[in-house]
Amino acid sequence: MANAVIMPKAGITVESCIIGTWEKKVGDSVKIGDILFSYETDKASFECESTEEGTLLEIFFGEGEEVPCLVNVCAIGSAGEDVSALRPDGAAAVEEAPKAEEAAPEKTEAPKVVIESTATGDKSAVSPRARKLAERAGVDASLATPTGPNGRIIERDIRELMENPVAAVKSEAVAAAPAVTEEEYTDVKFSGIRRAISKSMHTSLSTMAQLTHNTSFDATQILAYRKLLKNAEGDLSGITLGDIVLYAVSRTLLNHPDLNAHMLDDNNIRLFKHVNLGVAVDTPRGLMVPTIFRADEKSLLEISLEVKQLAKECREGNISPDKLTGGTFTVSNLGNMGVESFTPVINPPQTGILGVCGSVDRVRKGADGSIQIYPAMGLSLTYDHRAVDGTPAARFQKELGYNLENFTTLLAK
Amino acid sequence: MPKSLFVDPAETLAPGKITFNDIPVNAYNKTINEERSRYSDDDLVRIYRDIAVLREFESMLSSIKTQGGYNGIETTYPGPAHLSVGQEAAAVGQAYLLDQNDFSFGSHRSHSEILAKALSCIQKLSEQELMTIMEGFLGGSALRATEKLGKVDDVKELAIRFILYGTLSEIFARETGFHKGMGGSMHAFFLPFGIYPNNAIVGGSAAISTGAALFKKINGKQGIVVCNSGDGSMARGPVWEAMNFAAMDQFHTLWESHNGGMPILYNVFNNSYGMGDQTRGETMGYDMLARIGSGVSPTQFHAERINGFNPLAVIDAMERKLEILRAGEGPVMLDTLTYRYSGHSVSDQNAYRTKEEMEAWQAIDPIITYRQGLVDAGVAGDTKFEEILAETKERMTLICKAASDVEISPYVDFKKDSAVVERMMFSNEKVEKFDDREPEVNMPLNEVPAYKKLKEKERAPIVDGKPVSKMKLFNLRDAMSEVIYDRFYEDPTLIAYGEDVRDWGGAFAVYRGMMDAFPHCRLFNAPIAEAAIVGTAVGYALSGGRALIELMYADFIGCAGDEIFNQMSKWQAMSAGILKMPVVLRVSVGSKYGAQHSQDWTALCAHIPGLKVCFPATPWEAKGLMESALKGTDPVVFFESQRIYDVGEQFHEGGVPSERYEIEFGDVNKVRDGKDVTILTIGAALYRAVEAAKQLSEKYGMEADVINLHSLVPLDYTKIIESVKKTGRVVLVSDACTRGSFMNDVAKNITELCFDDLDAPPVVVGARNWITPPFEFDEYFFPQPGWIIDAIHEKLVPLPGHVAENGCTEAEALRRAKKGV
Repeated sequence: MANAVIMPKAGITVESCIIGTWEKKVGDSVKIGDILFSYETDKASFECESTEEGTLLEIFFGEGEEVPCLVNVCAIGSAGEDVSALRPDGAAAVEEAPKAEEAAPEKTEAPKVVIESTATGDKSAVSPRARKLAERAGVDASLATPTGPNGRIIERDIRELMENPVAAVKSEAVAAAPAVTEEEYTDVKFSGIRRAISKSMHTSLSTMAQLTHNTSFDATQILAYRKLLKNAEGDLSGITLGDIVLYAVSRTLLNHPDLNAHMLDDNNIRLFKHVNLGVAVDTPRGLMVPTIFRADEKSLLEISLEVKQLAKECREGNISPDKLTGGTFTVSNLGNMGVESFTPVINPPQTGILGVCGSVDRVRKGADGSIQIYPAMGLSLTYDHRAVDGTPAARFQKELGYNLENFTTLLAK
Repeated sequence: MPKSLFVDPAETLAPGKITFNDIPVNAYNKTINEERSRYSDDDLVRIYRDIAVLREFESMLSSIKTQGGYNGIETTYPGPAHLSVGQEAAAVGQAYLLDQNDFSFGSHRSHSEILAKALSCIQKLSEQELMTIMEGFLGGSALRATEKLGKVDDVKELAIRFILYGTLSEIFARETGFHKGMGGSMHAFFLPFGIYPNNAIVGGSAAISTGAALFKKINGKQGIVVCNSGDGSMARGPVWEAMNFAAMDQFHTLWESHNGGMPILYNVFNNSYGMGDQTRGETMGYDMLARIGSGVSPTQFHAERINGFNPLAVIDAMERKLEILRAGEGPVMLDTLTYRYSGHSVSDQNAYRTKEEMEAWQAIDPIITYRQGLVDAGVAGDTKFEEILAETKERMTLICKAASDVEISPYVDFKKDSAVVERMMFSNEKVEKFDDREPEVNMPLNEVPAYKKLKEKERAPIVDGKPVSKMKLFNLRDAMSEVIYDRFYEDPTLIAYGEDVRDWGGAFAVYRGMMDAFPHCRLFNAPIAEAAIVGTAVGYALSGGRALIELMYADFIGCAGDEIFNQMSKWQAMSAGILKMPVVLRVSVGSKYGAQHSQDWTALCAHIPGLKVCFPATPWEAKGLMESALKGTDPVVFFESQRIYDVGEQFHEGGVPSERYEIEFGDVNKVRDGKDVTILTIGAALYRAVEAAKQLSEKYGMEADVINLHSLVPLDYTKIIESVKKTGRVVLVSDACTRGSFMNDVAKNITELCFDDLDAPPVVVGARNWITPPFEFDEYFFPQPGWIIDAIHEKLVPLPGHVAENGCTEAEALRRAKKGV
């Protein structure tokens, strides 16, 4: 008897995934554990191993198609078997009356609790009322999570989106525009992650009042401390300047709750009691931002180890999507790339992001009037002016700089 | 079931036999010479002239239909031509003694009857009277058109032209027709001469003309009523129902000062064929049609079988029948033998009869034999008759030319005035009373015991915070009674009848106690004959009175299908607004009584253009709508529900006002305010919707707007749209089976009108498409509060934590549709 392989559920909050590439084709023989296809959530990419053995009889969804979790993706069995019953196609059940009739007393047909629709995302229908509201509110209806019947986006979904734009993770690929001859370019369809980044960044810049302050601090002490650790034994030697900055941020933010926050809507802000620090990680698929939960309660070493583990999972593409959400503030480090200052883009609905830049030697006049050379490290803070004003933002930066300049004192606290 | 009439077992069970009187068959045997003492030579010649006019009129139509023109005039028209060539002598004989106070109704084959009656009236009326009638008709527009035919000094000749022109341009569908072309060949009439609507439904006039006779009888009007039909109609149930209605014993036993037979003649122009079936020998068993009267009444309807080929034989019979009718001993019946040379219609191939048969009848054609008789008797010479024929043809050519000419006889211009028919659909008038005389009643209103009791009731269900006992509560039934009492004391023409409305007080007690207040002639029990009940009301109303009738259960609408759907609904517009139709038809949607006594058929009635349809669900609505219906001039199907006759007014602040008020047809009644979902209801489903709204609020924090559509036709969508735009979601609930229910129409209109404001398609929650199962299983068939919530959950907005129990997925809906259930 033919059996189906389902789209795995890649995390509690994941409702659907996009098929990446098929490693097997119809007619191939398949063993349990063989890689059948790769798939992506909006945040990560995975490979699906076969749970069945036999011949791959039919593939129900092609590459690039979005499939709700737990829905049959392909059928495996003996050649020639009928797989129509496995096809995830509701219409087939309706077509054949006699069987359906016996098996279809209304009570068993009644759908149970429906809170969030599992239907296709990009193709989601939008109710006229929801569309009208989205237009009026200036939000992209396609970003809403559908909760209406048949996966329809309804009014309350748009209201939810207006309150909580973090849901903004789905998008259409940007269409290529100019008419150029085909040989001159290659069209590349965005991966799920690229699309998520694209959408999220665009939403960020189009819906917030962002601006950036650039400051620098004297990195003498942290550079010395880093040198000290490097010679230490075990994991301590792996602590980087970036880890040190993360530690300082996790402590400093507690005094600046407006920056450790989510904008809920135009009128409400949610202040967090702990610091869930998002850390920007560069991966072959694109930027990913895993979260160090409760960083404010973790030691420098714990932070360092966790960052390394998260970055590894990101690069390998096996990070749980649940670790890619929930950040309350983000740190993006381009210091080792020689960037001296930049404008990091806030990850909505957070209210701030800190860019960590490289250090350069600068001169200053000492207390005795002498000219001193010191390593100055740049900090670029982007904040949402809707939530935070310039002076408090600058105050955070100043305190952060102070804590980094006096890092050993901070450590002692 | 009047107690005054004792059903005596001894008498009932006593032995005996039924005897019959002989029925005369072609008994007339006088010669022209014998009749010359009775008729002047002019009369006898004029009878010939009238026959000739009728013959020429239909010969013209036949020529137009078959050859595309008449006497050199090229013209045609697409409508029907059901001709009665050969039957003219019978029509002329019948009309000879009738005047404008006598009403005649006819069938689809009645051109000759109309013209004969008109010619008879023209002969009897003075020139002054004729001018007044012609000037007054449709503002003189038909007369102006007739005048374009050329100047005539002789008013009678002008009147003949007028009547021929008005009839022909009506057949030609011209605006100058007697009812602006909206009736046409099969529905022509001319009220000023007592010529009442002809009817395209076989036997359709039987109950209507009986109602006209009822109007004359009750309101003391002059004249009698002639119901003309063909022998084919004698097989139709409604015709029998009408004759039985007219023969009711109560007209002699219970109507006191109004005792007396109905002034109606059932005349059958018996041409031996019902279209192509041969009645005698094939499709009927009566042998001779005149026998039918004996099956209906001991008077045998004074029936006779007469020779309709001899106009003098018909006049002779008419004279005797009119005497009987005027003596209050009607109804009467004539089996008037005749023959139709023309086919049923112009497409008739005469497959059902032989050439020999037709030739045999043509050989005794009255246009030959009657003329020959006059010549032989020396009444007039052949030249006179040739002159008449030439003059007739000349006049007819003039008429045909004018009626064909679009300059003189324009069509209604739909391009210029697209609302022309729209304006005719309803008369929308308010008429306090149709006659100024004092209403006939048994006592002053404030002394009527049931009315006094009703006035003492509490008008709201909660008084001073305490619930009012059921017996003391002014309920929906009382609300209707109150208005009916009031209107009975205002409009003397208002009558109420139906099944068991008098002694019983109506099956649902709306008329309880009214027999104390009103004599039989205003409130009486009808036989269990729905077609007759509705059909007579139609005749009563178009004659000038107001009728309130009852069919007990809405399911019985089917028994009066033609009368409701074709007659009550259509005559206002088919008459171009000349006729009014103040009929209020009460029907009650049952419960507990199974599949043939529980149906909400509002959709059937709402589908038919020309009917106003309402369904009050609260006492406040019932009172206001009944007041409005009983003051209006339009036909209303007034739906009620047996589930809620006992309810008090729960929504209108202060309960039901004791003063008079009207609810305009078209209004809706909003009974609950909410912002999250709109629930529209029809009928008793209102109360289940209100319960659902309560649960939605308590369990899901969702607030519903609940709006009851107490008026279906007409329906003003303003408040509905307002609500749906606010909530974006709408559920439509009624007890009608879902497929084809009125709510589907409302849902479709909302979808169109509010599309951009909808968060989901409107969802209709109706009864299942089954028979109504026994009452024990009501909850599986009729919409329940849970169904409404499930529908919201499944189709509008999923409710957190809700588990649908009675839901219907799309797959299930498809399956049901495919199965037709």
